Amino acid sequence: MRVRNWKRLGALLSVATLAIANLSCGISAKNEVFFGKTIPPERNILRYVTGDEPETLDPPMSTGQPEARIYMAIYEGLVEYHPKNLRPIPALAERWDINNDSSEFTFHLRHNGRWSNGDPIDANDFVYSFRRALSPELASRNAYLGAYIKYAEAYTARAVFVRDPATGQFLLARDFQDDPVPEPLSSKPLAASSEYRATAEEPNADPDSAFHQLMHTPTRLTLPGDQKARTKLLDKNPKLKAAATGKEFVTVKAEDIGVEALDKYVLRISLVQPAPFFSGLLAHQVFRLVPRKVIEQYGDRWTEPEHIVTCGPFKVKTWRPYDKLVVERDPMYWDAATVKLDEIHFYPMSDNPAIMNLYKVGEVDAVLNHTVPNAWLDVVRNKKDYMDAVEAAIDYLQINVTKPPMNDVRVRKAFNFAIDKNAWAQWRRIVKPLTAFTPEGIFQGYPQPKGDQFDPDRARQLLAEAGFPVVKRADGSYSCPSFPVSEVEYIYNTQESNKAMAEWMQAQWKQNLGITVSLRNMEWRTFLNARAKLEYKGFSRGAWSADYMDPFTFLSLFYTGGESGTGWLDPKYLAMVDEANRMLDPQQRYALLAKAEKYMLDAQPVIPIDTSAVNWVKKPYVKEMYPNPGGLFPWKYVYIERDQSKWDFGTPSLAE
Amino acid sequence: MLRFIIRRLLVTIPTILVVISITWVLIKLAPGNFYSGEKKLPPAIEKNIRDKYGLDKPWYQQYGRTMWNILRHADFGTSLKYEGQSVNTIIARSLPVSASVGILAYILALIVGIAAGSIAALKQNSRWDYSSMALAMLGISVPNFVLGPILVLVFSLTLYWLPPSRWGGFPSRNLILPVLTLSAVYMAYIARLTRAGMLEVLRSDYIRTARAKGLSERDVVVRHALRGGLMPVISYTGPALAFLLTGTVVVERIFALPGLGNYFIQASLNRDEPLIIGIVAFIAITLLLMNLLVDIAYAFLDPRVRY
Repeated sequence: MRVRNWKRLGALLSVATLAIANLSCGISAKNEVFFGKTIPPERNILRYVTGDEPETLDPPMSTGQPEARIYMAIYEGLVEYHPKNLRPIPALAERWDINNDSSEFTFHLRHNGRWSNGDPIDANDFVYSFRRALSPELASRNAYLGAYIKYAEAYTARAVFVRDPATGQFLLARDFQDDPVPEPLSSKPLAASSEYRATAEEPNADPDSAFHQLMHTPTRLTLPGDQKARTKLLDKNPKLKAAATGKEFVTVKAEDIGVEALDKYVLRISLVQPAPFFSGLLAHQVFRLVPRKVIEQYGDRWTEPEHIVTCGPFKVKTWRPYDKLVVERDPMYWDAATVKLDEIHFYPMSDNPAIMNLYKVGEVDAVLNHTVPNAWLDVVRNKKDYMDAVEAAIDYLQINVTKPPMNDVRVRKAFNFAIDKNAWAQWRRIVKPLTAFTPEGIFQGYPQPKGDQFDPDRARQLLAEAGFPVVKRADGSYSCPSFPVSEVEYIYNTQESNKAMAEWMQAQWKQNLGITVSLRNMEWRTFLNARAKLEYKGFSRGAWSADYMDPFTFLSLFYTGGESGTGWLDPKYLAMVDEANRMLDPQQRYALLAKAEKYMLDAQPVIPIDTSAVNWVKKPYVKEMYPNPGGLFPWKYVYIERDQSKWDFGTPSLAE
Repeated sequence: MLRFIIRRLLVTIPTILVVISITWVLIKLAPGNFYSGEKKLPPAIEKNIRDKYGLDKPWYQQYGRTMWNILRHADFGTSLKYEGQSVNTIIARSLPVSASVGILAYILALIVGIAAGSIAALKQNSRWDYSSMALAMLGISVPNFVLGPILVLVFSLTLYWLPPSRWGGFPSRNLILPVLTLSAVYMAYIARLTRAGMLEVLRSDYIRTARAKGLSERDVVVRHALRGGLMPVISYTGPALAFLLTGTVVVERIFALPGLGNYFIQASLNRDEPLIIGIVAFIAITLLLMNLLVDIAYAFLDPRVRY
């Protein structure tokens, strides 16, 4: 009797604990318009949870979004993200010209740009910052974003030019290509097509300097700088070997990349290929301005609060890692009059319930994206401070196409047909079902192709065609006895939401194909390693969010192979993407990109699942902070509104 | 005594070196690396990173360099993940956070635990005994990742009395919940150990002698019984103090405290080799020192122990 009583008490206790934990967001918030307290801070300070601890305050050195948001407060680049649609708006460049094939960009800097120590900013600062960001010595993981700049990729890879010692002439790339691509760089005069007008009289810089002429000579041949790799390459190509014999190899230097200061306030960037989206890319952290003098004086330690010099609307006040980064308004900033907040406090936190608790008691004013836990959604989603908008990010499954049975496109398609993505989106509540590889409703004017819809009959038929007939049992369920289940598994990195997704997919396949795919969770780095090296069979979880606002940021995952972690690399796809990017007309380019995307979807190296939602909360008194699809905020516009009648009730509109 | 201490300290050095070497091997065996991300890096960029940190050098050179820097300069190097932050700085910065929470929790656990345990032993089988031991049982069986959120729910989210998380300096109201959460289990253990130790001692001959001498009950308990009864507590709290000082992963995570434990778990997940080695070495040293302190404390508390 006693024992039983104790048991019952124990059970009761554990139920009570669970109930309390589940209710934790509901108790006092049930009938309130907002989630938790809504008392604005006394001073004009924004307290923001930005996610993981920032790796560094050196902008090109970090790849993450938490850092990107901090860099947007303290550093500026040529352009900045628009608060609503993330399109490039003037920052340190007040306007820019694009040549008529979008392969050369000329930026006109404002004359009143200043560092936080008062020093003026000029075009040479940008030349330095770009060369540093792309240098092999810095080894930035973001350097690949600079590959559009002429010779930048070769510089980052420590490649060499090939020069004839007798004539001083360099070998040219086009002489060694089977199918020479037309030289993209237009040498036609720049078409003055600027959206923004100059604020000061500018002296006319020499538009056709010696360096500029060099950029417009046919592209030089580059070979690997590493002797072993070079010998291997030359041995494979006798024509190249013959041409290279007796020549000298000249390492590609920082001075060779296509970035030039025409004069103090004009910067010209020459690209290897037409890239209409390039100006949008320049707001990325890898292209933000860093202070040469301070870096040369303090080396690695230049980002310490006592040394750091910045150029954004805010400057570093104090930094206590894993605790708080405080930035304050920088009076030296060229647009200081626009900056409304006195300080921003960035809190590095990654535990979602802890973040939401802090938000609820009113100790923070806004939090990063993907923060509302699934179990809390029912309560929080109905509050007027919940941010409900799509994100430029997708969830998908990758398939290792190199191993049977998944090397058969019919099998891959069958697994795709067997997933009801609409039902998944309903269950997950905030995401949108996705059949293509680019997120839906993000890139305006992009004719996004449609992938295959849910069709379990077609799925079973395809499996049968591939040699794995699905039989219907008496009870109406399916089984596929001949399918080698031991050869297929689903790997994901340990996280509650990933687990839920994996189990959901598993159930779909079990229900519609009669195949039980085993699930395996892995620690994050182990998972990345297995996926990158294709050391998995079957499926792996994938997610990608845009680096810049162009479909190519998604389609490029399959552009250089291996990167996608699927083993799928198709020369025809590469040719299609290349052709699209050479298009001068943006609409034509989009059409061709969409064709390439469709081609990739037909090969099914991935199974698209959903377009993500931003899923965060901000207090109603935080204004001019929009749930844009990239989760990035130009902080200088953000302010604290004390007049309750002007507060945001519901998600602020992204329409301009 | 002095010879004993010196001998023990000398043994510490090779122990630490072995610990560091094993850690180094384990890190090298772990799959993945610190620079990998959702998108695989182009090979040229990966090579730049490997060159920059000397990851493609032969293993004995990498091992040799690590050990040399540690032995020669007491320098654990620079964190791979947190560019430009030296491991020594990170430890020096996060230790005070862990230690202030840890020491407060330790003191609280000792005071409450010993008091509750002594009362329970002195009034064995009374209401006091049962209720304090029931509480102790609860303290041991409710893990801190359950206790922490419940305390937050009650005192922060419902009553709005205390901040739910984050570091607020020392001293501050932010410390109250983490200290309570952290000390609960230690408090419970100490109470049980004290009770058991006291019960044993109270029945021993020398207590009977003390009573026979006519000493007051207070003197018997404080001067004689407690001294003997606390022996098991001492051997438990030495290592416990080491763990409390060097931070506890769970509590630091629940309350978002910038302590050593938080760094340790992050460093392992990030494959941040220098930081892992630095923190492991630091924890090992602390642990060994605490054990030494326990042995010294024995000598003072128990007249039979002599070194």
